[in-house]
Amino acid sequence: MSTQIHKQYWKALEERNGAVPEDLHPHHPHEEKEIPVGRRDFLKLAGFTVGGTLLAGCQRAPVEKAIPFLIQPEEIHPGRSFYYASTCGACSAACGILIKNRDGRPIKLEGNPEHPLSRGGLCAVGQAAVLELYDSLRLKKPKISGKDVSWVEVDEAIKLRLDQLRRTGGRLRLLTGTLHGRTAAVVIEKFLGTFPNAQHIVYDPLSSSAISQAYEQTHGQRLVPRFHLDRALTIASFDADFLGTWISPLEFTGSWRAARRPDAEHPLVPYHAQFESRMSVTGSKADDRFPAAPAEIRYLLRELTSLLAAKANVPIPDRLKQQGVPASLSHVSLNKVADRLWETRGHSLIVAGLQDVESQLLCNFANHLLGSYGTTIDLEHPSRQKQGNDRALAGLVSELREGAVDALLIAGVNPAYELPLEPELLRGVPLLVSFSPYWDETSQLAHFVCPDHHFLESWGDTEPVHGIVSLMQPALEPLFETRSLLESLSAWAGELKSAYEIIQENWRLNLFPLSGAKTFESFWDQTLHDGYAKLQRPSVGAENFRTAALEAVRSEPLVPGHALALVLYPKVAITDGRHAHNPWLQELPDPISKVTWDNYACLSPQLARDLKVEEGETVLIRKGNRSLELPVNIQPGQHRGVVSVALGYGGMMTERFAHIGPKWLEALPSIGRNGRVGQNVSEWLGLTADGLSYELDEIKIEKTGRKHPIASTQTHHYLTVPKHLAPRGGERRPIIQETTLAALTEGAHEETAHHEKHPELWSEDHIYPEHHWGLVIDLDACTGCSACVIACQSENNIPVVGKDEVRRQREMHWLRIDRYYYEEGARVDVAYQPMMCQQCGHAPCETVCPVLATVHSSEGLNQQVYNRCVGTRYCANNCPYKVRRFNWFDYAHEDRLQNLSLNPDVAVRSRGIMEKCTFCVQRIQEAKIEDRRQNRPLLDGEIQPACQQSCPAQAIVFGDMKDPKSRISQLIKTRRHYRVLEETNVRPSVGYLSIVRNRGEHHEETEGKSHA
Amino acid sequence: MSSRITTVFLIIAVLFSFLVIISKLALFRLPGDNRGYEPEQPIAFSHRLHAGELEMSCQYCHSEATSSRHAGIPAASTCMNCHSVITASLGAVRAEEEAAAKEKRAVRPVVSQELSKLYQALGLDEQMKRAGTPRTVNWIKIHDVPDFVYFDHRAHVNAEVKCQSCHGPVETMERVRQIENLSMGWCINCHRDPQAQGIKGRNPSLDCATCHY
Repeated sequence: MSTQIHKQYWKALEERNGAVPEDLHPHHPHEEKEIPVGRRDFLKLAGFTVGGTLLAGCQRAPVEKAIPFLIQPEEIHPGRSFYYASTCGACSAACGILIKNRDGRPIKLEGNPEHPLSRGGLCAVGQAAVLELYDSLRLKKPKISGKDVSWVEVDEAIKLRLDQLRRTGGRLRLLTGTLHGRTAAVVIEKFLGTFPNAQHIVYDPLSSSAISQAYEQTHGQRLVPRFHLDRALTIASFDADFLGTWISPLEFTGSWRAARRPDAEHPLVPYHAQFESRMSVTGSKADDRFPAAPAEIRYLLRELTSLLAAKANVPIPDRLKQQGVPASLSHVSLNKVADRLWETRGHSLIVAGLQDVESQLLCNFANHLLGSYGTTIDLEHPSRQKQGNDRALAGLVSELREGAVDALLIAGVNPAYELPLEPELLRGVPLLVSFSPYWDETSQLAHFVCPDHHFLESWGDTEPVHGIVSLMQPALEPLFETRSLLESLSAWAGELKSAYEIIQENWRLNLFPLSGAKTFESFWDQTLHDGYAKLQRPSVGAENFRTAALEAVRSEPLVPGHALALVLYPKVAITDGRHAHNPWLQELPDPISKVTWDNYACLSPQLARDLKVEEGETVLIRKGNRSLELPVNIQPGQHRGVVSVALGYGGMMTERFAHIGPKWLEALPSIGRNGRVGQNVSEWLGLTADGLSYELDEIKIEKTGRKHPIASTQTHHYLTVPKHLAPRGGERRPIIQETTLAALTEGAHEETAHHEKHPELWSEDHIYPEHHWGLVIDLDACTGCSACVIACQSENNIPVVGKDEVRRQREMHWLRIDRYYYEEGARVDVAYQPMMCQQCGHAPCETVCPVLATVHSSEGLNQQVYNRCVGTRYCANNCPYKVRRFNWFDYAHEDRLQNLSLNPDVAVRSRGIMEKCTFCVQRIQEAKIEDRRQNRPLLDGEIQPACQQSCPAQAIVFGDMKDPKSRISQLIKTRRHYRVLEETNVRPSVGYLSIVRNRGEHHEETEGKSHA
Repeated sequence: MSSRITTVFLIIAVLFSFLVIISKLALFRLPGDNRGYEPEQPIAFSHRLHAGELEMSCQYCHSEATSSRHAGIPAASTCMNCHSVITASLGAVRAEEEAAAKEKRAVRPVVSQELSKLYQALGLDEQMKRAGTPRTVNWIKIHDVPDFVYFDHRAHVNAEVKCQSCHGPVETMERVRQIENLSMGWCINCHRDPQAQGIKGRNPSLDCATCHY
């Protein structure tokens, strides 16, 4: 018996229905157009013109200047990179980062491997933040009523207004996102303390307020606990996308990965069940995934709680007792989930992402029954990453409605865009101050705009988890005339101090005594060096579970029906939309749908059939007087009664993308009819006293007959051979391999079945005298989060090509993540496969290049020599993995300022050049040269390509395959190792480890089918 | 008919282009080959004096050569290590001293014309006091390989390649001039057989990705 299961995975629905890859690509109407000049004439003339200009242009290179410093700073050495530990400010998770500084400016962000939360990874959004530092759209000066002014003028004007408020006792409200820095809290308290009636209101656009509200009721403390996924053997998640966007996805991915040990002597893979309405990243990695409508998810949670209560012999109110699972949920094996949770009690975990206090109460109760508190859930040192209080937000909104707010200061959030507010509400406030660094929806309404720094040019402190503090340090002088929020607030409270002084003062006073360090200086310096510090903070003092809290849980029967629900969700790259003006993130294919540059209505295949819509056609979603027209994306695994739409689109500054992409005659615009990328759905959010809600019942949906083509990369770069070209026997290549935990445990000593050996066309012509670089990617660990794609883009100067070019399959990402589906009954399995140049030993690309622009190196790399390439594209056509990218145009880096983030160690490629993954050869060279300089041997693990460095799941391992002791050599020996398209004998240097599913009883059944 | 016009046009064009080609061919050089390039620099710094006569080590000023990809152009502050004291040639100072002795007056500070450019750049006056705004010294790059080549000084200096192997006898040049052609063939010749060039150490790589990425 082989431990591998060969399932027929597919990428697009059309493929499952039998279409060959060629049919899947959209044909552009212009391709059939007749051109007035004949092709040969055109080529003749073009050849002459090009030749003539080339010759006439042969001149000396332009004069280049070398401008040294006047006074050499100690820490800057031209040509060398330095890394500074800091904290990411791209979202509220506050992961540890290392800022790569080159010649005095940050050029790349990497994860801090020593950071206790993020464990060395950095997500796509964090990686892309470096581009925003050099964003020319950032405000360059403060503004009064939309006009640029100096800070002195703004301070004078605002102080005058604030003094008035202090005298009159008017209501001042400070509205911010989560600011978990202790110094910010002190400064805000001091500032607000100078007003007779002032209040600080915090909300998170992606709210977890229901969780903290529930804990207030069950444990007497308003908090969001810290979840330890690494201690969990069984996880049940109710709509919590913890690997994608929920609370602290990077931390969760790291700890989720740490618990998976499929290659150990006693293989261990936690069981994970996901109940969700749409296909999320987390759901795609679940062992059992149960699609359910939002109401059904809540119902299932209640049922599960009562099942667990029965097992634990804990009496519960009758109304919470089991009511039985209705027929519509017959596919849900709730008993199995309950059994497995109960079996591993003490090491089980239930998480719920529902913005619904009652469900969260039940979730806490279930965790209490399972004994999760103290093991998988930490209440003593809870997370501080979501401080939002939606009840307070609702209070503020009603105050605004009454016109009772005299001054509103807004920092770190964009309520005019992301909340369902009428613009008049904010416009009606007599004094509106925005701290936004952009001219966004809120700043435009504000009387005063006091732009904050980018987090890479600012001092700051954070405390993402109770007791773990970290510092943000500036990596360069502020580029524009911006000012830190801390400085602005203290200036208005009458103290002119720099953020550095403010933070140091507070740390000396409040944090240093808890640090255990001898002197403040050593504590500060060590924290600055490490990027974080652990403090001996006393527990927050959560009480034991109060059963009385369950009184608040009502028991509504499940109403069976065919009503459609709308679910608004955050995408991995765009999240709440605060980075939607970042082209890297817009062009990043969504891990699941593979769509770029748009949001869309996700429909289940069945609903799409019922509505008779196809992908790219639009539908109209209606409820009451609200309506929304969106293109359709058909999503396998989606619940049939749910339409899901991504948040964060359609904001201001996304119109800049209208100009992205080459200016050529047939280019289509990158924006929609509304002049923006995608549609803003914030008016569909619910905001009640219970908090922000992301679901809406009973919506109507209809086909419009209009089209809005979406740029999806799902059908690009097929590895699958079309049936009519397949070798005889028609065997489909098992590109994705998977196994089960049971198979790994049972067949503990069995070898993977490898492909039969083919006769050699080439003899052993490549000897690798010193190194043979290779990569192993653990498909089991890969969550498809796409951090590696952006890391690669940042490291290798990969351009953004724009929506229209993506539609033409011209995206330039060297590293893509292929997403495959496998459907069996109601279950949809998802597999991710990062795919980059496989650096083949017998590379098909090398043999066809007429100019030897791609040749083999003595270390096993397929070198692509840009200056030799003449752009025949033979290599790309001959590549079985479809990983080569061609520069059809000079994909200009549109924002000149953003070119400062280019990596000087990698050439910027011009038009007509083929390019591809190099295994980050610049890093290999750097490590080799530096080691030789310092006379030390090259250690295993010393070279990390950008993708490996950023991977939060540590799924990618790079190393020397010639060294038998290296980690990669060990991984190649494991039973899960295989190579994609091995049967073609191209000898790829990249290996994959098969997916492991912990399915127990499903195993036999799957095995049988796959071999049929 | 129209095709005949095209043909005639193309023939004329080809003849014309030959004329262009022949005149240009004589000037054809590979990218990076700027032999003989000897631009005037903003400050007439003499390598002959510093590296030749005074026998200063190259790495005193180009200190990054052992530790970085770039050898580095010294910052003005490096010049000031000596030139905060030495403000003119010895001859000029002696002449002033003699003149002062003759005229029975205090010795006036002597600042050479070129060094005053350095002090101006740093925003200093003749008494080394701050005066005026500092501005950069914009040296003109001479040895400039194309952007698709990644040359690393570290690797070469640490393999004990002499600076002169690539930069020529700089210590004899009043104004620096490019001597070697810096073309790929020239690089490869040395990489193939470094011993023949008198370079010890390990055999360098011939892989394309050693320099092109």
